[in-house]
Amino acid sequence: MPEKYKQTLALFYCQNVPESDEANRQLLEKEYGKQIRLFPLPCSGRLEPFHLLRALEEFADAAYLIACPEGACRYFEGNKRAQKRVQRTREIISGIGLEKERVGIVIRSADNPRTLAELAWEILEKISGIDPSPVLKRANG
Amino acid sequence: MITAEQKPISEIRGMIKPYRRILVLGCASCVAECAAGGQKETAMLASTLRMKAKMENEDVAIEEYTLDRQCVNDFVVRLDDIIDKYDAVLSLACGAGVQAVAEMYQEIPIIPALNTEFLGETRAQGLWVENCLGCGDCILYYFGGVCPLARCSKQLFNGPCGGSVNGKCEINREVPCAWQTIIDRLAKFGALDRLETIYPPKNWAKKQGGGPRKIVREDQEK
Repeated sequence: MPEKYKQTLALFYCQNVPESDEANRQLLEKEYGKQIRLFPLPCSGRLEPFHLLRALEEFADAAYLIACPEGACRYFEGNKRAQKRVQRTREIISGIGLEKERVGIVIRSADNPRTLAELAWEILEKISGIDPSPVLKRANG
Repeated sequence: MITAEQKPISEIRGMIKPYRRILVLGCASCVAECAAGGQKETAMLASTLRMKAKMENEDVAIEEYTLDRQCVNDFVVRLDDIIDKYDAVLSLACGAGVQAVAEMYQEIPIIPALNTEFLGETRAQGLWVENCLGCGDCILYYFGGVCPLARCSKQLFNGPCGGSVNGKCEINREVPCAWQTIIDRLAKFGALDRLETIYPPKNWAKKQGGGPRKIVREDQEK
């Protein structure tokens, strides 16, 4: 029986996510191996659409962003801008025939703070149903 | 500054279809300011085109580069060292920039990726508005710094028309009536008397009447 396909994820996240320091990042990358690549950002508002596009182009089946809860951005509106940029990116990939679900944003909950590891697991679960990206030419197809 | 918007990706794909080595060329001036053709937008478009090409199994090389300005030859010549690698250039400049590059490299097709729009003011982040038509004979003095050619839907010189209601234009209640704005502005600095003059129709000779316009300044020449 063939092994279940494991989607690759580019995960950008604001460094204010709980338990997202360098040691935790390395632990996560070790646990998931090539399935996940983590990109810490000083603020989610630092993300640009081309970061997400470049990830999809080069290695990722999906590219996601974790942003702070509404009203809780250290830089006031970085998370609001990030939402708009993610939406723009979803429209761009849809325009070339890629599913919008390959790009997304997770807004952290203020009431129920979760760690980077928990959020990463949830996103990997969320994308587990998408097909291998037609952009990426893998040896195993 | 010059404003522009990216063409639909399907139109761009149609234009670059015959070519296999394509340079996506950004311009870091006006079109960067209006988020249409700067370094970021160039990276986005190049990435999008490469992904689509991979999805369609097309054998095509798409690379990117951004010039400080595509409308100034001193910057365009920087392409001398790399242009031979490509059989087409997809330019994210305004129409002036596209043509400046095309003028310099006549053997290579220079393809526009943007639709050039208008001379724009950045009113707010993400909002650009047209306030000037570049008519070649500025009349802003007479109209309190508000151009009736660019901002009145009917381009009236002796307004307002009967369609002005509560300071808004009849074409769309979101559009301010230029003539209401003119009157309000002139009143603020006590110059309403300028409207006692009857202004004749616009003489367009200084815009397009003499064919393509140019400015020659001998004191600026080398």
